[in-house]
Amino acid sequence: MSQKFIRNFSIIAHIDHGKSTLADRLIETTGTLSKREMEEQVLDQLDLERERGITIKAQAVRISYNAKDGSTYMLNLIDTPGHVDFTYEVSRALAACEGALLVVDASQGIEAQTLANVYLALEHDLEIIPVINKIDLPGADVEKVIKEIEDVIGIDASEAVLTSAKTGVGIEDVLEAVVKRVPPPGGNADKPLKALVFDSKFDPYKGVVLYVRVMDGRIRKGMSIKMMATGKVFEVTEVGVFKPDLVNVESLDSGQVGFFAAAIKNVKDARVGDTVTDSKNPADAPLPGYRKATPMVYCGLYPAENSDYDNLRDALEKLQLNDASLVFEPETSLALGFGFRCGFLGLLHMDVIKERLEREYNLTLITTAPNVIYQVFRTDGSVEMVDNPSLFPDPTVIERVEEPFVRATIIAPKDYVGAVMELSQEKRGEYENMTFVDESRVMIHYSLPLSEIIYDYFDRLKSSTRGYASLDYELHGYRPSNLAKVDILLNGEPVDALSAIVHRDSAQRRGRQLVEKLRSLIPRQMFEIPVQAAIGNKVIARETVRAMRKDVLAKCYGGDISRKRKLLEKQKEGKKRMKQVGSVELPQEAFMAILKMD
Amino acid sequence: MTEKWQQIQGIYVHIPFCMQKCLYCDFASFAGKSGLMHQYALKVCEEIRSRAAEMKVEGRATVYFGGGTPSLLPPGDLKLIIAELRQSKLWLEPAEVTLEANPGTIDANRLSAYRRLGIDRISFGVQSLNDAELKRIGRLHTAQEALAAIASAREAGFARVSADLMYGLPGQTLTSFEQTLKFAIASGVGHLSVYGLTIEEGTPLAAAVSDGSILLPDEEECEAMYDQTIRCLEQKGFRRYEISNFAQSGQESLHNIVYWNYLPYMGFGSAACSFDGQRRRTNAEAIEDYLKGSAPSLEEIATRTGFAEAMFLGLRKTDGVDLMEIKRRFGIDACEFLAAESASSIKKGLLRLDGKKRRLSLTEHGMKFGNEIFRLFV
Repeated sequence: MSQKFIRNFSIIAHIDHGKSTLADRLIETTGTLSKREMEEQVLDQLDLERERGITIKAQAVRISYNAKDGSTYMLNLIDTPGHVDFTYEVSRALAACEGALLVVDASQGIEAQTLANVYLALEHDLEIIPVINKIDLPGADVEKVIKEIEDVIGIDASEAVLTSAKTGVGIEDVLEAVVKRVPPPGGNADKPLKALVFDSKFDPYKGVVLYVRVMDGRIRKGMSIKMMATGKVFEVTEVGVFKPDLVNVESLDSGQVGFFAAAIKNVKDARVGDTVTDSKNPADAPLPGYRKATPMVYCGLYPAENSDYDNLRDALEKLQLNDASLVFEPETSLALGFGFRCGFLGLLHMDVIKERLEREYNLTLITTAPNVIYQVFRTDGSVEMVDNPSLFPDPTVIERVEEPFVRATIIAPKDYVGAVMELSQEKRGEYENMTFVDESRVMIHYSLPLSEIIYDYFDRLKSSTRGYASLDYELHGYRPSNLAKVDILLNGEPVDALSAIVHRDSAQRRGRQLVEKLRSLIPRQMFEIPVQAAIGNKVIARETVRAMRKDVLAKCYGGDISRKRKLLEKQKEGKKRMKQVGSVELPQEAFMAILKMD
Repeated sequence: MTEKWQQIQGIYVHIPFCMQKCLYCDFASFAGKSGLMHQYALKVCEEIRSRAAEMKVEGRATVYFGGGTPSLLPPGDLKLIIAELRQSKLWLEPAEVTLEANPGTIDANRLSAYRRLGIDRISFGVQSLNDAELKRIGRLHTAQEALAAIASAREAGFARVSADLMYGLPGQTLTSFEQTLKFAIASGVGHLSVYGLTIEEGTPLAAAVSDGSILLPDEEECEAMYDQTIRCLEQKGFRRYEISNFAQSGQESLHNIVYWNYLPYMGFGSAACSFDGQRRRTNAEAIEDYLKGSAPSLEEIATRTGFAEAMFLGLRKTDGVDLMEIKRRFGIDACEFLAAESASSIKKGLLRLDGKKRRLSLTEHGMKFGNEIFRLFV
C-alpha cells in the first residue's frame, strides 16, 4: 500500500476521559473486529487493566477505513495509558506516530494529565486533533472546553471533533479527521531498513516480540536484521500486524506499524527505543531513542516464605521482559531475609507489579513501605544514593541530605485554591505560580518533595477538593532537606524493614502515629510486645501490644473434626501471611503502616 | 493382633430435636419439628440395620445419644432404637451408655425408664446456674430446675452424671461464674464439661454482639474464669483430663475419649458422623433430607491428614498422645515431623515430652494456647 494511504496516530487523554471507549468505537465502526469479538476495553489485555478500568500498557491496532474520498486507508492506532506513572509509555507510542487525538471530557475540561500528555505530543511534532468527548452528558460545555484548549494549550480547537464514544456520535468524524489532518508517514521504502522499537513483549514460543514502526525500508520474514544499539544480529522468523491480535503478514514497509519476532531469547538484546536495521545493508545512523524511564519509588519485595526467593526472582525477570521500567536487585533484611529492592515509576506501577506477582505467579509477598531515593553527602566528601531507609548512614557522618523534588501541576476549581495551598504548604511545598484555566478553574504549580506525594499528598488532595482536583508531576531535581531516620523497635529489637526517613520537623508526630498504627495492626501474641519509635538512641514514642489471653478450641468431638481441622488450616494459612521477626509475628500491613496513617 | 483402630469403639446416635434453639447454637438441631420424632426413630433403625455390617465392632463399644435434646425423644422411640442396636450386634456389652438431657425435659418416671433401657450416664446441658444468664442465652430452664434434675438423676440410680457449663456468657462476671462452679460441684455430678462461649457466625447471638445489644465479658475476665475453673475443680477432686473436661476418678466420658484417641466410631441419624480410620461419613444435616434418604457426604482421610487429626485430638487430653502408637498407625514420627518446633515449643513451656520420648502432651500453659501447637500439625 502506498504510504499516502497510511495514518499513524495515538490517543492521549486524562484518565477516565473516555480514551479506551473511543478506541473501542473506532475498532467497532470500521469492522476491524466483529460484534461477537468485540468487548469493552478491547485493547486492554491485562486482567488488571479491565478490573481497574485503566490502561497500563500501550497497545496497537491496525484499522482499515473506507474514507468519504473513496479511498481505503490503513490506520494504525496506538492506545496509551493516562496515568502519570506511565508517561514513558505514552512518549514511546508518540514517537511511532504522526498525529494524536487529544481526548477531553466535555464536562470535566482539561486536567493535569491532559496537559502533560499534550506537551509530549507537541515535543514529537505531532498533529493534534482535539476531540471533545462525552457530549451527551448533561454537564457538557463544549464552548468552554474549546476555549480552555485554546487558552491553556494554545492550539486551534475551532475544528475540534465532537463525540460521544458511549453513544457512537461523531466516530465517523474522528476517522475523517485522522485521514484529512494527520499527515501520511514520511520515509523511503527503498532506503536501508530503519525501524523504531516502541515496545516489546516476551512470548515463550516466539521469544521476544518487538513492536516496531518502520521509518525507512522494509522488514520481511527471513531477512537478517541488526539491533543498532547492541549490534546483535537475528533472523526474522515472523512479521505481522495487530488486528488487535497478532496476524502474520509478508512484510512491513516504511510508514507501517507492526511486530516481528526473531527467536530473540534475551530481552536485553532487543531494547525498547533501539533501531532495527538490515544487517547486510545497514542504515548509517540510528533513530533518536527514548530517554530511559527512571524509577522514582523504591520498595523491598520479600517472599513471605523464604523458600519462594528463587520463584520471586524468576517472576520479576519475567515481568521485566515486558516492562523495562521495572528494576530490581537483591537485598537482605535482618527482619525479612532475602528479597529484592525494586524501583518503580510510581505508586500505581508498584501496586500493579505487586498484584501481578501475587496473581500471575501465585506468590505471597511482603512489601516494605515505598520510599524515594536520597542523595546523602557524607562528611568525608563522598556522595551516596540511598534507596533503602535502613541503609541511611549514621547522622554523625552526614554532611547533608538531598531529596527529589517534583514540579506538580494541580488543576482545581477556584473555590478550592485555599485548600490546595494549605495542603501543599503543609507538605513542604514551594509555591511557584497560578493561572486561570477558565473563569472557574485554576492551574497551580508547586514544587513538592516526591516523598510527600507518595506518602499521602494525592489522597489528601482528592479529599480536600471533593475529588475535583487533578495532579500531574515531573521530576525537578534534588534539594537539601532536614531529614531524619526513624527506627522502629519491637520487643526492644530494631526492625530494619520498618525504618522510615521523615522530615525532622514531623519526626515526633510521625513516630507516634507509626507506633499507634503498629499497635493496632500487630495481633496479640502470647507475650506483651513493646513497640517503640526512636531517632538514633532516643525513643520518641512507645505503645504496647497486650498479650493474648488464650487461644484454644473450646471443644472438638466426633462430628466436628473436619470443621475444626479446616479452621486450624485456615489459621495456619493466615499465619503464613505473617512474617516472623525475632519472636514477633508481623502481618503484611505492618510494613506499609507508615502509608496508612490518618 | 487386631489394633484398637481397626474396630468400632463407639456408637453415636443423633437426636436433632429441641424445644427451642439457644441463641449461641450452631449445631444440627431444630426446634418445632417434634411431629417427626417417631418417623425419625424408624429411619434411624433402618440406617442401623443397613449399615451394621460395615465394620467389626468391639464388644465393649460405648453408646452415646447426643443432640439436639435426646431427652425430648419419647422413651418408646428410644427403646426402638436401642432394640435395633442390640439386634444388629452394635450394642453388645457397652462400657458406657450416655444420654444428653436438658433440665426441665425429664422427670423421675422418665429417668427410671432410661435406667431400664440400659442407659447408665446422663449429661445435662446446664450451662449456668444463674437465672439471668440462662435467660440471656435463650435457655428454657432455671438454675433450680437444673439442680433438681441432677438430684433426681442421682435418686433414679445414675452413678455417673455430668453437667455442661459455660463461661464468657453475656452479663456473666467472675463472681457469678464462681457461684455456678460452686453449686455445680455441690450438686452431686461426677463430671463437668466447661466451655468458653464461642460466638459462631450466623447465630442470633453473633448478630446481637456485633450490633452492640449484648455485651460479653472482656478477654481478661474470660481468662480469669478459665483459670478459676481449673483451680477450683482440681481442688475439689475433679481431675482435668481434657482441655474442657473434668472428672472425679472413674467418671471420665469413655465415649468422648474414643474421639480424642482417634478411634473408629459409627454415627446414626441426621448430621451424624462415622469414622472407620480411613473415611469420614457425614449424614445429611437437615431432618427432612435425612428422612428422604439423601446421600451422606464422604471424605477420604489421607495418612498425613489422619496424623494431623490424631495429633490435635490426642493433645487435647492431659495425658497426650502415645508416640509409638502414632508411629505404628501412620508411619510418622511426631518428633521428627515437628523438627525444631518440638524443642522450641518445649522451651516455650507449651509441650512436654516424657523421659522415654513415648508420650507427647500439652503443659497446663500449652492447653491455654493449644491452637499454637495444633496448627503445627495441620
